[in-house]
Amino acid sequence: MAAVTDLPVERRDHAGSAARRRTNFALFLGPAIALTFLFFVIPVLIDIAVSFSDLDRTLRISKFTIEQYQKVFQGDRLLPQVVGLTFVYAFGTLAVFNVTFGLVLALTTTSLDKISGGFFRGVWLLPRMSPSVLYVLLWLWVINPSDVGLLNQFLMPMFGLATPLDLMTSAPVALIIIANGFIGASLGMIIFAAAIRGIPEHLFYAAEVDGAGTLAKIRFITLPALRWPISFVTIYQTLSLLVSFEYILLLTKGGPFYDTTVYALYVYRRAFTSGQYGYGAALALFLIVIGAAAALLGWRFFDLQRLLQRPRIEVH
Amino acid sequence: MAKVEFRHVAKRFGDLEVIPDLSLTIEDGEFVALLGPSGCGKSTSLFMLAGIYLPSGGELLFDGSVVNEVEAKDRNVGIVFQSYALYPHMTVRDNVLFPLRFKRMPRAEALGRVIAAANLVQVEELLDRRPSELSGGQQQRVALARALVKEPQLLLLDEPLSNLDATLRLIMRTEIKSLQKKLGVTTVLVTHDQIEATTMADRIICMRAGRIEQIGTPDDLYRRPQSLFIAGFIGSPPINVVSGDAREGEVCIGSVAFPFAGAPGAVTIGLRPEHLRFTDSGLSGRIAQIEPMGREILYVVDTDAGYFRVLEHGSVAAHGVGEPVNIGFSPDDSLVFDAASQRLLAATRVGPPT
Amino acid sequence: MVAPVTFTELHPRPAAPVDWGKLAARARSLRRAKAVVLYAFLISVSLPIILPYFWLVTIALSARTGVADTVVLWRSMAVLAPAVIAFWLAAMLARNRRQLWLGLTAIGVVATAAFAWLVGPDLHLRNFIFLVEPDFASVVRSRVGAVHGAVQFPSVWRAFGNSLLIAGSQTAIVLTVASLAAYYLSRFQFPARAAMLRSLLVLHAFPVLTLIVPMFLMLYWIGLLDTLSGVILVLVAFELPFAIFIMKGFFDAVPWDIEMSALTDGASRRQAFLRVVLPQVRNGLLAVAVFTFIRGWEEYIFVFTFLIRNTNWTMSLYMYYVRDDVMGVDYGVVSAVGVFYLVPSLILYLAAQRYLMQMSIGGVKG
Repeated sequence: MAAVTDLPVERRDHAGSAARRRTNFALFLGPAIALTFLFFVIPVLIDIAVSFSDLDRTLRISKFTIEQYQKVFQGDRLLPQVVGLTFVYAFGTLAVFNVTFGLVLALTTTSLDKISGGFFRGVWLLPRMSPSVLYVLLWLWVINPSDVGLLNQFLMPMFGLATPLDLMTSAPVALIIIANGFIGASLGMIIFAAAIRGIPEHLFYAAEVDGAGTLAKIRFITLPALRWPISFVTIYQTLSLLVSFEYILLLTKGGPFYDTTVYALYVYRRAFTSGQYGYGAALALFLIVIGAAAALLGWRFFDLQRLLQRPRIEVH
Repeated sequence: MAKVEFRHVAKRFGDLEVIPDLSLTIEDGEFVALLGPSGCGKSTSLFMLAGIYLPSGGELLFDGSVVNEVEAKDRNVGIVFQSYALYPHMTVRDNVLFPLRFKRMPRAEALGRVIAAANLVQVEELLDRRPSELSGGQQQRVALARALVKEPQLLLLDEPLSNLDATLRLIMRTEIKSLQKKLGVTTVLVTHDQIEATTMADRIICMRAGRIEQIGTPDDLYRRPQSLFIAGFIGSPPINVVSGDAREGEVCIGSVAFPFAGAPGAVTIGLRPEHLRFTDSGLSGRIAQIEPMGREILYVVDTDAGYFRVLEHGSVAAHGVGEPVNIGFSPDDSLVFDAASQRLLAATRVGPPT
Repeated sequence: MVAPVTFTELHPRPAAPVDWGKLAARARSLRRAKAVVLYAFLISVSLPIILPYFWLVTIALSARTGVADTVVLWRSMAVLAPAVIAFWLAAMLARNRRQLWLGLTAIGVVATAAFAWLVGPDLHLRNFIFLVEPDFASVVRSRVGAVHGAVQFPSVWRAFGNSLLIAGSQTAIVLTVASLAAYYLSRFQFPARAAMLRSLLVLHAFPVLTLIVPMFLMLYWIGLLDTLSGVILVLVAFELPFAIFIMKGFFDAVPWDIEMSALTDGASRRQAFLRVVLPQVRNGLLAVAVFTFIRGWEEYIFVFTFLIRNTNWTMSLYMYYVRDDVMGVDYGVVSAVGVFYLVPSLILYLAAQRYLMQMSIGGVKG
């Protein structure tokens, strides 16, 4: 009795369902796909195209050439210094601040009671929570090369200096490493502290009773549990440090001369300050490729199974 | 070996007072159980013995010396946690070896000790496995080996059997008890399971809300529970409890009068199911429910004095549901408590109604 | 190797008596030393952060001639540092709640009085004139006399409005687009699903700053350079993968039965989405909204590169130029602007505290 009257309805639904499926797709995914295509894919294509041209300050392309790449590999005397600096900066900040200091902060703040530990972690979150312009502004005031700067107010009486220090000219690379390091350390601190608080308390109790002192507990219980967060922070932050330059731009503008110009900032200066858009695009392409490669490698860290969970409703 | 003493020990966590005043002595080589419901402070007391918690007041003594502030690592105590707390990234061998790292002994000797401890609890074949590859019972035995390998003077067990299934629990009960007898180490067991306590311990310390309710051998607690709480806590199936108003010579419970030998007043009477039997005369009622339990049968009888549970041996029910029966018992098996203080009135007895 | 027969046979019981008193004393001094070292370390490394921020606030509230002096800073520190230590000691030593409150109030009263006496006279709000005077730069210059550069400043409220507009529009658009996309990716089956999810992963991790040069050129050729809409679109697109990722996580967590029962009740999938599923992910929407807004509010690089006219300035640009131009002249005004810029950021971050951890570890293994 049910079969006869069901058929036409089924067929009608099936056809309607196909149309609905298409409109659903367009409605839900359309805007996202359009935006990502427009702002991710197209710029990459533009970059490739421009890097093979001679686009400069006039913003007009007269010919297509590979001279930008020739310049990259042979003609630019600054480039090796920039690349070297980039690696020194990235790994220096990572090793000293993001990982090591972040670890130290996480270990020390979790050893205190909740309120004190939370207070110190909160203080170390301030740099991250402040707008970059403001954070750098404070740094500039602190390193001010006169006796108004906070740093000089401390160091001059402490070391008996006659003239105030000017970090900007005397130790610019150290300056950018420390300034970025504070920001990086706070991210490491948060991730490591959360991981430490996830370790079951009874493991520490058992170790205490077994005879472990503070250092032994860190070595045998805390650090093994942090193996994964440490590698996550390392890889994630390496990529981030290699391509970012916002704080450096604000703090030293890349100077003096090109002493603190990392690769990404070099691209920026060549393109916008010097107007060599073609050259900048060529340089940027290397960065884009590295970024894409790292992003692809990042797959391994993600629980793909959970991400690709099959939906359980089939109709539209 | 250690003789352990709590002298007016108190423990507060912020505003919460878990243990107000605890005084207790545990003799050298004794196997003692801290028994009580959750939150009564038994695990807290254990952790204070281990040195994990610092007492807020009072003194904790090992062999007569105050050890309140001595760190856990200096106390030479072995502890088995409810969760076993095995180090997840180490093999069983490394887990058991761990305490010996801090004792500065040559590696060969340490490994020898590890094997001896492993043999003691029969995990010698599992030495190269990781804790995640072990079953619950195996993990527990590894935890035991780790606690014993350092030859502790005090062995602490925090609900060690609660995560095991019934058969394993039975086996481990016997194993732990025989182990303790063999090694002679002072042992404190924390549990909420009265069967564990009565079968394993030499003495039971029954606790409630941070205070000691009663200390005694399992037999003491069973036959002469000092309070209604103990009477209800010890013994399975649980004791039948009824309250009544006692006058000279008799006490009325419901509409039934029981012969009463003791001072008049409001009383609460406890009668254990295993002490009740079906007789020709006594408390009359009807069988409301029958629960066969293998080698025993539990009857629930509806009487004018309330529901009574009666435990009879045998696997075949001699009576059916709805059948009228009479319940009798010996007055010496009756437990009478003062209704207000819930303390045992030792000389008072109740007899079955005539 | 012959295993020993019993444990006790091989290892006789230790006979040496233990000196418990010595152990207790050693443990006590070790504990105290550890606490001192920990606090000393944390305080000394945290001071470089606490001091400058506090300095910012004190300058904003006290600088008169535009010079950034530190007198007020040190005087306030002289009151605050002992007050904090006293607070902390009180918390440690108080035996019950009543004593604690008594102690804290007493210290608070003394500290406030000392503060008022030492620092009070120096405090004023004149540095906040920029809030009411649009052309404060010339007012300031005329006060001091020196002139550095000739940048025309818009009213700070205009910059504030621009920042709000950018951050707000970005948030609204991202929420809408990301929710729609995330829902579809989470709940619908279609041929390219796996591929799209994988590319989402890649996009999410891709460093967008590398695209700034071609992005500039693209906006120029489209004609959206130096417009707020151009900036908004760029920020939206760059924030999208992250937002979709997070929202998908929230959508994945909604139980299927709710949707299934909505469908059997006669709703279409779109209706089910709007009425049944969307309310379930309110937390996710809130989290994404707060984070996106913060990003938009603090954005500097893209705004700096893509906006030129000063009518288009956002707060971050305003700060940058105020510092560049007014810097050598009036620290007071600069810090006042700084405080004005900082406070909304901090409030938003504190509001989003709960979601911080969830977000950064999100769907990552381990």
